[in-house]
Amino acid sequence: MTQPLLSIDDLHKSYGSEEVLEGVGLEMDQGDVTVLIGPSGSGKSTLLRCVNRLTEINSGRIALDGQDVTGADTDVNELRKQVGMVFQDFNLFAHLTALENVTLGPKKVLGMDAADAEAAGRNHLEQVGLLEQADSYPAELSGGQKQRVGIARALAMDPELVLFDEPTSALDPELVGEVVEVMRDLADEGITMLVVSHEMDFARSAASDIVFLDDGEIVEHGPPEQLFQNPTADRTEQFLSRLHAHEETA
Amino acid sequence: MAAILLQTVDWLFVIDNMGLLLGGTVVTIALTVASILLGFVVGFPAGAIEVYGSDRARRVVEQVGVVLRGTPLLVIIMILYFGLSISSSAFVTATIALGLRSAAYQSQIFRGALQSVDDGQLEAARAVAMSRFEAIRHVVVPQALRRSVPGFQNEFTIVLKDTSIAIVIGIGELLTTGQNLYEGGQSTAALEIFLAVSLVYFVLTFATNRSLDRLSDYYAVPEGTT
Ligand SMILES: Nc1ncnc2c1ncn2[C@@H]1O[C@H](COP(=O)(O)OP(=O)(O)OP(=O)(O)O)[C@@H](O)[C@H]1O
Ligand SMILES: [Mg+2]
Repeated sequence: MTQPLLSIDDLHKSYGSEEVLEGVGLEMDQGDVTVLIGPSGSGKSTLLRCVNRLTEINSGRIALDGQDVTGADTDVNELRKQVGMVFQDFNLFAHLTALENVTLGPKKVLGMDAADAEAAGRNHLEQVGLLEQADSYPAELSGGQKQRVGIARALAMDPELVLFDEPTSALDPELVGEVVEVMRDLADEGITMLVVSHEMDFARSAASDIVFLDDGEIVEHGPPEQLFQNPTADRTEQFLSRLHAHEETA
Repeated sequence: MAAILLQTVDWLFVIDNMGLLLGGTVVTIALTVASILLGFVVGFPAGAIEVYGSDRARRVVEQVGVVLRGTPLLVIIMILYFGLSISSSAFVTATIALGLRSAAYQSQIFRGALQSVDDGQLEAARAVAMSRFEAIRHVVVPQALRRSVPGFQNEFTIVLKDTSIAIVIGIGELLTTGQNLYEGGQSTAALEIFLAVSLVYFVLTFATNRSLDRLSDYYAVPEGTT
């Protein structure tokens, strides 16, 4: 039996007295695309941020390649080399060009020399369709372009897993498509992705697994056809119908 | 009135002694540059400690800053020179006084600039596996330094003009040279001498502000959302 790439077990996280994650478990194999859905405040971002330890957990276990990564002796920077992240509001380095955004990590963290990092960086920009914008600064890019640079920046570290926290929800509707398309390409290439997103298009066409999180608990999970067509829990059904209603008005 | 005060012979006297005034100007520039540099070397880390330091370190830095900013420069100079006699060189003493006082103000410029950089920048840098120090150094500081330029221009102007206070411990800077010309030379030329002195201060501040504008244009990056 192969061991899962990511394995989360009985994860608890509280902010003060408020328990935000109440015993969450999740497994992903290499190449999986898991889409995390759930109402606002259900703990989706928190769960993602626990995986790369931008947020520290209270108890439970998170293992990458079978190695527990939650211990005090885990080097968080080693962990983050393996786990990339794409942010809702991009957070591109404002003082650097698109190419420099992509090469900063490889140069400063992976110790690549400048020429290699640039060559690789151009490839990653090409992968997201932005080679021509290599010398543009973030403020000169559209939202969709910024997010694609954000994706290239994460890929440039050659991670084993990429976390996406609502990558399209800060975008104007007409720009969502270009980002979704890039993400779908990555899924096809076998990049392992844990994605918080309510982009149904993406979830249906790219996800191997949908996970519904509500109130800090995983209510149910399953392949997209099953979860979207025949949800077993009432809570899931209610959430999905609200989501559909919202999609139709949008 | 002005015509009587501003007499040609007095202007000629000023022009004749331009060499002396220029000598004073050189001392003023040296004192300004040394003080600003000391202020930067001490003030920048102090500002960073106020933002990123441990509670204890932060408290110490804040308190020293409050004392320095709350004490008149003249008093600082007197204490250092006559009270503590930290150096027999008036120039060194003046540099330390001006430099420490400037550090206390520069730290506030940098603190504000560091705090103005969105937290998401630091977080994104951490997410590509940079250590906290690397993230601050490669991502936050470059942006903060750009944003400090206007405050820094202000501070530069203030230090430049405040070097004149060093007159009290007898450094031959610009104002002292002017005063010597007036007292030991031609007392009718007071207005002309001091107008010439102000003109030099003005030219110096104007030129540095322009140069810093150029520098900041050169390093400017387009502003907007990231
Ligand atoms: N740093 C924090 N300090 C205190 N409470 C927090 C913090 N971050 C999140 N929370 C709380 O934890 C809960 C879960 O937040 P989280 O951001 O994980 O939800 P989410 O599912 O991502 O929601 P959204 O869809 O709105 O992004 C919320 O009640 C939120 O207020
Ligand atoms: Mg969220």
